[in-house]
Amino acid sequence: MGLITEKFPEHIEKMPGGSFMLTRMDQVMNLARSNSLWPLTFGTSCCAIEMMMATGASRHDIARFGAEVARPSPRQADLIIIAGTIVKRMAPRLRTLYEQMAEPRYVIATGACTISGGPFIYNSYTTIRGADEIIPVDVYVPGCPPRPEGLFYGLLTLQRMIKEGETVRKPGIRKKPVFSALPPDISMKEIEEQMKAVLEKDSEVDVEKTRKGLTWPTGI
Amino acid sequence: MAVKISTLEERISVPAEGDNPLNTQEYFINMGPQHPATHGVLRLMLKLDGETVREVIPVLGYIHRGIEKIGEHQTYRQFVHLTDRCDYLSAMMNNWAVSLMVEKAMQTQLNDRIEYIRTIMAELERIQSHMLWWGVLGMDLGAFTPFLYGFRDREMITDIFEETIGCRLTMNYIQPGGLMDDIHPNFVKRVKDVIAYAKPKIDEYEELLSGNVIIQERLRNVGTITAEQATSLGVTGPVLRASGVALDLRRVAPYGAYGQVDFEVAVGSVGDCWDRYWVRVEEIRQSFRIIEQLIDNIPAGKTMLSKPAKKIILPEGSHYAQLETARGILGIYAVSDGKSENPVRIHMRSPNYHNVWSVDAMTRNARIGDLVANISSLDIVVPDIDR
Repeated sequence: MGLITEKFPEHIEKMPGGSFMLTRMDQVMNLARSNSLWPLTFGTSCCAIEMMMATGASRHDIARFGAEVARPSPRQADLIIIAGTIVKRMAPRLRTLYEQMAEPRYVIATGACTISGGPFIYNSYTTIRGADEIIPVDVYVPGCPPRPEGLFYGLLTLQRMIKEGETVRKPGIRKKPVFSALPPDISMKEIEEQMKAVLEKDSEVDVEKTRKGLTWPTGI
Repeated sequence: MAVKISTLEERISVPAEGDNPLNTQEYFINMGPQHPATHGVLRLMLKLDGETVREVIPVLGYIHRGIEKIGEHQTYRQFVHLTDRCDYLSAMMNNWAVSLMVEKAMQTQLNDRIEYIRTIMAELERIQSHMLWWGVLGMDLGAFTPFLYGFRDREMITDIFEETIGCRLTMNYIQPGGLMDDIHPNFVKRVKDVIAYAKPKIDEYEELLSGNVIIQERLRNVGTITAEQATSLGVTGPVLRASGVALDLRRVAPYGAYGQVDFEVAVGSVGDCWDRYWVRVEEIRQSFRIIEQLIDNIPAGKTMLSKPAKKIILPEGSHYAQLETARGILGIYAVSDGKSENPVRIHMRSPNYHNVWSVDAMTRNARIGDLVANISSLDIVVPDIDR
């Protein structure tokens, strides 16, 4: 349910009416937390300009959502907006910044580069294909770069998640929602083996053979 | 000026000079890569003696994405969109540089409409880049209001880009052989509106920041580099012009429609931060002047060559073209084998890479507080340094 029930379970029963009051208290804390997120100024490339446009500038005023206090120090921030490509040399620094932030900490990945590598996904020897390979990401905002309105939508989504108490449950550790439930008669291990076999089969492609098999669709 | 090349280890291991008890111990401190005043992820190693900066060593590579290597796997048309992501504040000029290189190699003649629209777009881009720089300089020196002003007026120009191109920052508009698309019917009217609105605003900027005593004290006689130092370091753009060298490719080797317009090249005399400030503010005015001359008489014509080549194969050999972006001379160098659509080697001579090394010459034996003013007056874009 929340921070107190998670971290201080021994206090619940000792207090009169404890469990009810403390769980309500969690909701109040989540509400307060979601409406005063302090972002860290972390911009590596193009998305940083749009982030500056969103956070600092006058037309798109992020202060309406209570997240305008951009902090240059990770120790004072609880939200990191990754704006821009993460390359191999920057990746350890990003991890350090994330670990220096106080819990609970939240991550928004803006832009195509932080989601998948974006325009640099092919033939680049340095780009990290997605910031979630380095740190756990809560909300992804697509775009290259995303408009300030897109960033706001991402922020509102994060606020909704915090209000529902979702990210507080295990602060800092979130897994990617890959699938909700497994089919009844198959295990995860079998799926992994099947995937491995398919990948190995597809890893070698005979270009000439494949090209001969391809024909343009006719009669359109 | 002779430049002695030494390795990083050598420079770190130099002991403090002399045994004078008044000497403090020299020490190294890292500025960046995560620092709000370095405009991104530039890392500077500072050799300090108390608060005096003895040496600045830029350490690069924190946003090196291997764009030149990716370019070897892509055609020239595809490479255009990667140049947007280098110097994202002069995206239009970066696109133009690739197009210029291809057109020069193919000996393509463009019509006047393409050249006029390209010139107008590039000047709009220069204005918004300098406006952003003006705001960020104010913020770096401790004044937040210029940031709001600069971004407010810059939004009007990004709106024009969005209407015509569909994108606010990474445009990919200028392509080899012409333009991506024709201009929006509202374009001319919107540009005139912006000129009418923003031109008086420049005077307002001057009143707000230029006459301020604190700004004058922070910028005047700070970070001086002479014309000799600047030329030997390969510095270009407003930083070079502030030192008194009137090298502006728009004037020296006109491309686009720059040969047909009347404008002045702003040149400083001392080469300090104040001159760099003044040169850029003057360049905004001159850019407005260029647009005013062109916007009313955009000729009719096609915006892409009549038969755009499906395959662009450059003749065998090396090709080079350069132009003036908002930060200096950008050159694109490509080697083609004459058979393939992809270049064998593609290289960008980016202005920021050459400008950033002058921060050492500027800041040596100055106070640490002046370093921020120096970095800010250089107007560097870090992804263009690392590429």
